[in-house]
Amino acid sequence: MEIRKDSGIMKWILIGISFLFLGVFLLLPLFYIIATAFRDGIGGYLVAVTDEYAIKAALLTLKATLISVLINTFFGLAAAWCLTKFAFKGKKILSTFIDLPVTVSPIIAGLIYVLTFGRQGILYKYLDPYGIQIIFAVPGIVLATIFVTFPFISRELIPVLTAQGTDEEEAAALMGAKTFTIFRKVTLPHIKWALLYGVVLCTARAMGEFGAVSVLSGHLRGKTNTLPLYIELLYQGYDFTGAFAASSILVIMAIIILILRLLLQNKGKREV
Amino acid sequence: MSEQIENAKSYVELKDINKHFRDFHASKDVNISIPKGKLVALLGPSGSGKTTILRMIAGLEHPDSGEIWIDGKKVNDVPGSERGVGFVFQSYALFRYMTVFENIAFGLRLKKTPENEIKEKVTELLKLISCEGLEKRYPSELSGGQRQRVAFARALAPNPQLLLLDEPFAAIDAKVRLELRTWLKEMITKLHITSIFVTHDQDEAIEVADEIIVTNQGRVEQSGSPQELYSRPATPFVAQFIGNSVPVKNFERFKHFERNDDDVTAILRPEFVSVFKEGEHVQYANSAEQAVVEDIIFRGSSLEIRFRLHENLISAYRSINEAPIEIGEKVNAFIYRMFVIKGEEISLVNNLSIKQESVII
Amino acid sequence: MKKKSIIPGFGLSFGITITILSVIVILPMCSLVVFASKLSFSEFLYTISRPRIMSGYFVSISTAFFASLINAVMGLVLAWVLVRYEFPGKRFLDGIIELPFALPTAVAGISLTHMTTTNGCVGKIFYDLFGIRIAYTRLGITIALIFIGIPFVVRSIQPVLEKIDLQYEEAAYILGADRKTTFRKVIFPEILPALISGFTLAFARCIGEYGSVVFIAGNTPYETEIVPLLIMAELQEFDYSAATSIALVMLFIAFVILSVNAIIQSRVSRRVSGIS
Repeated sequence: MEIRKDSGIMKWILIGISFLFLGVFLLLPLFYIIATAFRDGIGGYLVAVTDEYAIKAALLTLKATLISVLINTFFGLAAAWCLTKFAFKGKKILSTFIDLPVTVSPIIAGLIYVLTFGRQGILYKYLDPYGIQIIFAVPGIVLATIFVTFPFISRELIPVLTAQGTDEEEAAALMGAKTFTIFRKVTLPHIKWALLYGVVLCTARAMGEFGAVSVLSGHLRGKTNTLPLYIELLYQGYDFTGAFAASSILVIMAIIILILRLLLQNKGKREV
Repeated sequence: MSEQIENAKSYVELKDINKHFRDFHASKDVNISIPKGKLVALLGPSGSGKTTILRMIAGLEHPDSGEIWIDGKKVNDVPGSERGVGFVFQSYALFRYMTVFENIAFGLRLKKTPENEIKEKVTELLKLISCEGLEKRYPSELSGGQRQRVAFARALAPNPQLLLLDEPFAAIDAKVRLELRTWLKEMITKLHITSIFVTHDQDEAIEVADEIIVTNQGRVEQSGSPQELYSRPATPFVAQFIGNSVPVKNFERFKHFERNDDDVTAILRPEFVSVFKEGEHVQYANSAEQAVVEDIIFRGSSLEIRFRLHENLISAYRSINEAPIEIGEKVNAFIYRMFVIKGEEISLVNNLSIKQESVII
Repeated sequence: MKKKSIIPGFGLSFGITITILSVIVILPMCSLVVFASKLSFSEFLYTISRPRIMSGYFVSISTAFFASLINAVMGLVLAWVLVRYEFPGKRFLDGIIELPFALPTAVAGISLTHMTTTNGCVGKIFYDLFGIRIAYTRLGITIALIFIGIPFVVRSIQPVLEKIDLQYEEAAYILGADRKTTFRKVIFPEILPALISGFTLAFARCIGEYGSVVFIAGNTPYETEIVPLLIMAELQEFDYSAATSIALVMLFIAFVILSVNAIIQSRVSRRVSGIS
């Protein structure tokens, strides 16, 4: 490592630039949110965050997040297992489709659901007679959230499973182990940290999704407003304290997620 | 010897096996017959299809055509887990998140073996592989040799009738490898379990196996005892692959070798050649040819003398107890015999000056 | 799909994967294709060539490009600092890089906007001292996109930089290369593919970004209107044909960007490993 040691002035200049850059672009906006949220004192803050509509928005966000994380975990496990343990035709196309949602603008994600389930959509005539409303309602919000976070978990699992190879599963199968035994006893221990990490990332993104949800939500206060949409509403109504107070809830969640992320990453590294 | 093999009832048999991986023809009309209780090596260069054969016997891969028989039953449609085979993977594939004990016990647990029997069996196996006291360790806490032995024990735990080992020594240090080879041979002989292992190392195959199957480019070139392969290679490939064989140019210029045909080539091994200093009185000294030593390599117990003869760089061994030879020295070289190849046919041709004597190697 | 593997569970996992994938991704994408195929071509051309839409594309692409360029440079510096140096606060620095992933875009958006208006604490300084407006200009959009794009480049380069074998640098050192030459000739070519990959990912993401930009952009027609906002506006007018037309062009742009990256990556890997 000798030749990589660099104690020169360059090192400290680069470190300084890094701190300055991240400080200005990332930390400043973060502190600004907290500071503005408490601009009217603790009392004002508490009033803002305990507002009936704020709580309803938070609950809806929680619900959408929970459902999407569950479905994406289930999907991610199946897809990662399928893509890494077996050889089959069309594997590349399959993984391209799985990764597609992250490259699509959230607005377009919203648009394609409107085109599918909206009044002129191909499924509208099948769903409407049963009174099932997808867009401008909670199911649309949930679907949009699943879409934007779709590959988050499988993408964390696939590299780990690829690196692990299939030897251990083959060995277990040769001895007669069944699918769930192999999965639980052989595969799962390898991916548990990656899985948790994926769940954390998925939660973070699901909680904060704005664009796609904004297209599909009916923007009904207390009914189809998620926390980010509620924040937009307050901000555009010049209720800055309220907007920033509601934001601070999401900021705290983001910080918790970052800490969890670091812990999980270290744990995963130590086991390898 | 070869008749004996054919007469013995074969335990594993592959009939006209073909296997493709996309465009790659991995097995071409493979026919193999392995007698019960033998320790067999599948030997060949990398990419020759030896691992594919092993994996097809285990049921890890499926042939495109042909039949696989184990113990008198056609097993093409029998899943690997029901073929009664134990498999030792090249990377060992030990379950990294299970202890040594749990690794060995895994197969037994799947068979719903009672807990006290599992404990008994694992303890017995740990003793067999001399790894007592390691049962609580994880694979990452074992040495390479220990991992190999644990993988061996795990494969043996469910009492397989056939043990398959994929390059069992490839991932081990040279010194430990030699010990393990001997150990494995002893172990398998003691257990009397039919075993097949894959290797690309001819020394390993010759030392460990009762019988060797040589593969090349998806085909089985020859199978037989190590001695047989060594002294009677059936194909040019085997003649070149076994021993430190070198091809020879200008075959017709060698003294006392006749060339009857134009398109023949020849192969020479160091043990077919002897070198001696000028003035040394040895048999056939009169029939020897003069050559200049270009290089001498110390091989521990012997010296490898390299000299040039008729534009060929030829190697010969010489004991370190004999009078020393130096680089640049003019020496006499006598070639006892060569493998002569014409098309796919191969024959051992003796130096004409020793015609009267029979050859034993 | 004839090949059966010894490992069980293919049918089950494949079935689950295909079913969920169909409902969430394939079906909606198909309905986009079906809807798009019903559009008349002249109408499509008219929609996307309207000056207001054209300027939207220009604003989106130019701001995303500059933001990604800045992020490419800063991402390289950050990755280098995090991999090669030891200093107090390193883990903190490493941790907060992911903040843009964790913080909801809308929250980032209102915070950046409120801060940089001419009355905001940062915006006021810039306006009073230099006469520069940040919020409601393209500069503001670029700043929001820098915020969004930071993690992409860093996280692309970091693992590659970590894996570079010390022996390359030692070889260069023994052959007499100084630090600068070693970086330029040995290290930089190693991380260039990752840098390009990070840049294109950030670029593609920034073109589609909505939440963080919509507040700070101010949405002045011909000046600071971005494409996602134009699609949103058409949707609010229930003009689905126009929204789809604009979206198709955007998908095409994203496709081109990602394809260029894929081609570069496969070229590089072919050169390095000798196999395509």
